[in-house]
Amino acid sequence: MSWRPIARREFATLVDGRSVKIAIALVAFIFAVGGYAAGASPRGTMVTYARRLSGITPLLITAFALLFGYRAIVGDRAAGRLTLLLTLPHSRRDVLVGKFVARGAVVVGSILAGALVGAWLVSYPFGTVDGGELLVYLSATLLFALALFALALALSTLTVSPRRATVGAFGVVVAVAFWSNLRGLFALALDSLGLTTATGGLPDWALFVYGLEPSLLYDRILASFVVGRETGPFLGPDAPWYLGGETAVVLLLAWFALPLVGGYLRFRGTDL
Amino acid sequence: MAAIRATEVTKRYGSVTAVDRIDLTVEEGEIFGFLGHNGAGKSTMINMLLDFARPTTGTVEVFGSDCQTDSVAAREHMGVLPEGYSVYESLTGREHIEFAMESKGVDGEPFDVLDRVNITDAADRPAGGYSKGMAQRLVLGMALVGSPDLLVLDEPTSGLDPNGAKAMREILTAENERGTTVFFSSHVLEQVEAVCDRVGIMHHGRLAAVDTIEGLRETAGGGTKLLITVDDPDEAHLTAVEATDGVDTAWLESEDQFGVTCENDAKVDVLVALEDRGVDVLDFSTEEASLEDLFVEYTRGTA
Repeated sequence: MSWRPIARREFATLVDGRSVKIAIALVAFIFAVGGYAAGASPRGTMVTYARRLSGITPLLITAFALLFGYRAIVGDRAAGRLTLLLTLPHSRRDVLVGKFVARGAVVVGSILAGALVGAWLVSYPFGTVDGGELLVYLSATLLFALALFALALALSTLTVSPRRATVGAFGVVVAVAFWSNLRGLFALALDSLGLTTATGGLPDWALFVYGLEPSLLYDRILASFVVGRETGPFLGPDAPWYLGGETAVVLLLAWFALPLVGGYLRFRGTDL
Repeated sequence: MAAIRATEVTKRYGSVTAVDRIDLTVEEGEIFGFLGHNGAGKSTMINMLLDFARPTTGTVEVFGSDCQTDSVAAREHMGVLPEGYSVYESLTGREHIEFAMESKGVDGEPFDVLDRVNITDAADRPAGGYSKGMAQRLVLGMALVGSPDLLVLDEPTSGLDPNGAKAMREILTAENERGTTVFFSSHVLEQVEAVCDRVGIMHHGRLAAVDTIEGLRETAGGGTKLLITVDDPDEAHLTAVEATDGVDTAWLESEDQFGVTCENDAKVDVLVALEDRGVDVLDFSTEEASLEDLFVEYTRGTA
């Protein structure tokens, strides 16, 4: 349990930084403003809230989570602070858990605070917020944020070069931002191989692969459990189970867990 | 129980062997100096004590705890001043000490430690503004927290001015008197010579020698060097001097001076031998073989 001093110190140092404060305020503000915008429509609900924010939150959360994760280990490692920290009786796991708890708390706390204010603004004065929908929305959003954060943290254990970690983090943000633009390219490539369906669309297995990207999973979870959409190739009545919302939850959990485990094993296994 | 026990430890980086089959035991309560040039493998050895680097083969134990498989337990015995560290720039000196206390689970007054390493005046300033010497003392303070059984210091005097180096030596000696085993590396011979009970010389990844400083002197031959100014510097006398018990070698140092290396208690016999042959000794001086000489002696053979 000796991750606690590490987490405490990490948290204190983190919230001391000005750029960190600005990032936290910005994210919380956008989640709150989304509530104001959704509440301004005649009758605000969690559905209007989720729809209002769906254009901006995936990328915002991605950038935010990456920002807090990508230098967590490699920054201290390159500077030599990890050398100092690990002379003390902490295990590598303590370091990773401490960083995860402190930085994860900031990521989760900022989004949670913003979204709760947002939800209140949705309901005020004429809207209604269904408690169950709110809970699902928050859970899905925080899971998505933590998955990206875990990915960033794993990234920061992979290399001893902060520059490479920066390039990697940037790559992740770009990939999330432009992934959906690649769908047409996939279709073209598969078409040239004669693998598309009769109507020229992606076959189910290709949809599954394409739909593995975290922000698409997040979108599908919200569509499935908050908005209640039952159309389209993923959620329509003819779609197979592995393209549905429940599977998306499992896959997003895997996005959270696998990078953490991989990052830990990598960090534990290498010389400092 | 041995404070440090390394058994057949080898560390390879690709095709480079940084540490080559080291067997080393450091006994509880001693001050052990780990000597060698930069790149000789000293830091790699220390990194393996801390589990920063993992041995390719062999094991390292600290007070019976394996440094790799039971690394936290091993480090619970240790206070460490590593090399290539950086302090937390925004934390003050006092906060560093408090953090070390929290980590090691000890209660106490941070200022007791800050006093011992003499940075009380800077206790509430961010450590980012500390000089190298102050940072070095601060981290030594963190190492002293919780009165560890073993202090491990990698080049503790590097970056320190002579006064700082002296203060560092005094702290180490004082800690040792409290029963702490001290293991430190250095490429500065005087540092080692001044405080160490025993010395290990690393060279090209091998442990070239382990002994007390006196032992090393004896093994390296001579021990004492005599310079004798005489009225009749005939080379014939050298043979007679070399025939004396306890004399290692004798040579013509300059036109009126003999040089002799011998055991310490053979000095008078040398002078007597010269008198017996009717040679007048006008002047003589002795100098002990410095560790530098020993070092050159030892590292030449294994290069």
